[in-house]
Amino acid sequence: MAAFARFIAYRFAAAMATMLLVSLIVFTLMELVPGNCAERYIAYKATQGFVVTDADIRAEEVRMGLDRPYLVRWVDWISGVFFRFELGESCLWRVDVSQLIGDKLLISLALAGGALILTYLVSVPVGVASAALRGGWFDGSLRILSYLGLALPNFLLALAIMLLSTIWFGDTMTGLFSEEFRNAPWSWARFVDFLSNAWLAIAILGWSAMAIQIQTVRALMSDEQDKLYVTAARARGLSGWRLLMRYPARHALGPVVNSVGFDLNRIFNDLPIVAAVLILTEAGSLLLEALARSNDQQLAGAIILTMTMTIVILNFLTDILLAVIDPRVRKGFFA
Amino acid sequence: MIALARRLGRRRAADATKEAYFTASQGQLIWQRFRANRTARAAFYVLFFFIFCGVFAPFLSPYNPTSAGRNADYTNGAPQIPQFCDDSGCSWRPFVHGTERYRGADTNFRWVTRQTEERSYLTFLPRGSEYRLLGVIPMDRHLFGVEEGFIHVFGTDAQGKDIFSRTLHAIGVSLAVGSAGVLISFVLALIIGGVAGYFGGWVDTVLQALMDTVKTVPTIPLFMAVAAFIPDTWSAEQRFFFISLVLGLLGWGTLARRIRTHVLAERSADYVLAARMSGASAGHVIRRHLLPSFTSYIIVDLVISFPYMVLAETALSFIGLGLNDPVNSLGVMLQNVTRVEVMLNYHWYFIPVPIFVAIVLAFVLVGDGLRDAADPYSEKR
Repeated sequence: MAAFARFIAYRFAAAMATMLLVSLIVFTLMELVPGNCAERYIAYKATQGFVVTDADIRAEEVRMGLDRPYLVRWVDWISGVFFRFELGESCLWRVDVSQLIGDKLLISLALAGGALILTYLVSVPVGVASAALRGGWFDGSLRILSYLGLALPNFLLALAIMLLSTIWFGDTMTGLFSEEFRNAPWSWARFVDFLSNAWLAIAILGWSAMAIQIQTVRALMSDEQDKLYVTAARARGLSGWRLLMRYPARHALGPVVNSVGFDLNRIFNDLPIVAAVLILTEAGSLLLEALARSNDQQLAGAIILTMTMTIVILNFLTDILLAVIDPRVRKGFFA
Repeated sequence: MIALARRLGRRRAADATKEAYFTASQGQLIWQRFRANRTARAAFYVLFFFIFCGVFAPFLSPYNPTSAGRNADYTNGAPQIPQFCDDSGCSWRPFVHGTERYRGADTNFRWVTRQTEERSYLTFLPRGSEYRLLGVIPMDRHLFGVEEGFIHVFGTDAQGKDIFSRTLHAIGVSLAVGSAGVLISFVLALIIGGVAGYFGGWVDTVLQALMDTVKTVPTIPLFMAVAAFIPDTWSAEQRFFFISLVLGLLGWGTLARRIRTHVLAERSADYVLAARMSGASAGHVIRRHLLPSFTSYIIVDLVISFPYMVLAETALSFIGLGLNDPVNSLGVMLQNVTRVEVMLNYHWYFIPVPIFVAIVLAFVLVGDGLRDAADPYSEKR
C-alpha cells in the first residue's frame, strides 16, 4: 500500500511539474506576441472614442502590474490558477476569465468527453473484430477507413457532411441548441435538446481519433492473439468473443488506456475548427473569439492552460487506473 | 552435360542475386523493399504527380491565381468541360462555349451569366500572363488555354478567379509550407534530440520532460493563439514565413524523441566502439557511422510528419489565421464555403478538397511504405 501511495505521489508530482512547464511555455508565448494587455485595452478604448495618451498606457500598465518582471508575473498568474482557481482578468472585458469561460468550457468539455467515449466505444470492439478477421474484406475496408481518418481531417469531414445534408435535406445540421433553449437555464429538457443536436458534432470530433484508434487496437490484438497462451486457451475449448475478451484483449488493454490522454489532445486540436465549421456558437465562439478575433492574450492563455490541464489530469487518472486494473502492475504494489 | 551447365548457370545466377543482396547499400535495399509494396508504389507515383503539378503550377495553370487573373464576367461560374460536340455538330478540336453577361425582361432585369452559341477552341501553349518558372525562368506560355475568352475547368469563385489555377498553386504553396515547417522542426529535433541522446543523464531527463510537455499541449489551439497576433500590416509573404516558423517551432517533439532514442541506442553499439578503438575521431564516428545508421529512419519520419504540417496549415488558413490572399492554399480557398448559398449553389468550390485528401493520403501511404521498407526485420514477417 505504501508503494502505491508513493507511486501516486510520484505521478502527481510529475503531473504538477508538467503543468508548471506548460504554464511557463504558454505564458512565454503570450508574452512574446507584440503588444501587452494594457496597450490592447487602451487601443480598444480609443476605438470607443476616448482620447488616450502614452501616459495613460503607462498608468494602465502599472495598474495591471505589467511593469513587474516577467517571472514575478508568471508566478503570480500560476499561483492564482492553482491556489485560488482564478485564471486572471481578461484583457478586453475586464472581468475574471473563469466568469467568461464558465458554461462554455463545460460544453466544450462535454463535447470532447462525448467524442472520447464514442471513440473507445467504437474502436475497441471494432479493432478486436478487425484483428480477429484479419485479411478479410472487413479488415481491408477498415484499413482504408483509418487512412482516411488521417487524410480527411475532421473539419473537412464536417464540411462534406454539411454539403451533403444541404443538398439532400436542405438543412446544414449546425448549432448546438434549438431556438427555444438557446438562452434557457440548464434543465433536463435542455440537456436532451443538446444531445439531439450535438450527436453529429460529437461523431465528427471523434472521427480521426476513432479511425486511428481502431488500427492501434487491431495492431495490439494481432500481436497478442498469435501468442502461445491464446493457443493454450483455445486448446482448453474456449473460442469466439469469450476467448478474445478474456485473454488477448486484457493484455492489449494497457497501451489503449495509456493513449486516452493522447486522443483527448487530438480531439481538442480539432475542437475549435470543427466548432467554427458547424457553428457551435456555445463552444466555438469562446475558443475562436478568445484565441483569434479579440486578441485577448490573457483569455487565450487561460483556455490553452485549461485544455492542457484536462489532458494532464486525464493522463494522471489513466496512470492510476492502469495500476489498479492491470494485475501485473497491481501485484507490485499490493503483494 | 547441358543439364550440368544449366544447373551451374542457375547456381551462378542465384549467387549473383545473393551477392547483389549482400553487397547492396542500405538505400538500394530500402528501395527494393519499397518497390515490392504495390500500394506504396502507386501512392509514390500519385505523390510525384502532385509535386510536379505544384512545382510547375504557373505553367500548367491557364491563368494567374490571384485577382490579377480574374474573369470579372464569369463570377461564381460553373466548371466548363471541354467538349467535342454541341447542337451544331461535332469538331475534332475540343472547345468550350463562350459566356456573356446578359440582362433583360426575361431575367427580371437582373444580370445573369449565360452561355452563348459561340465556340472557343482549345489551344496549346498560348501566350498568357507572365510568370517565372521555378522562380527564375521568365515565361509567358501556359500549357493550355482557349482562343477567345476564358476556360475554367473547375469553375470560378466569387471574384471570378479560376479555381483550377488556384488549386494548382495551392498545391505548391501547401508543399512549400510543409517543407519549410518540416525543415525547421527537423533542425530543432536534430539538435535537441541529439543533445539529449548524446549527453544522457540529467540533460536527457530535462529535455525529455520538455518534449513530453510540448506533446501534451494541443497544438492547433496554440497555433491559433500565436497566429492570431500577426499584425494585419504584414504582407502575405511575411505571414507565409511566420506560419512555417510556428509550425516548425511547435512540431519537433515527436521527431526529437525518435532521434534521441536512435542516438542513445547507437552510441554504445559495438561498431561505434570498434571505430573508436581503431582511432577514429568523434567527427568521423558521427559522420561515417552514427548518421548513416539512422538517416533512413529520419527520412521516413520526415515524410510521415509532412502531412501533419500541411493539415495544420490548412486548418489555420481555413479559419482565417494562416495564409491569405494573394498567397493561396487549400485552407484559403475554403475560407468562405460554409455559407449556405455556396453549399447550395456553388458545389465546385469543393473540388480542391478531394485533391488534397488524395495528396495527404499519398503522403501517408508513402510514409508507411517507407517505414516498412526501412525496417530490416519487415521481410521476415
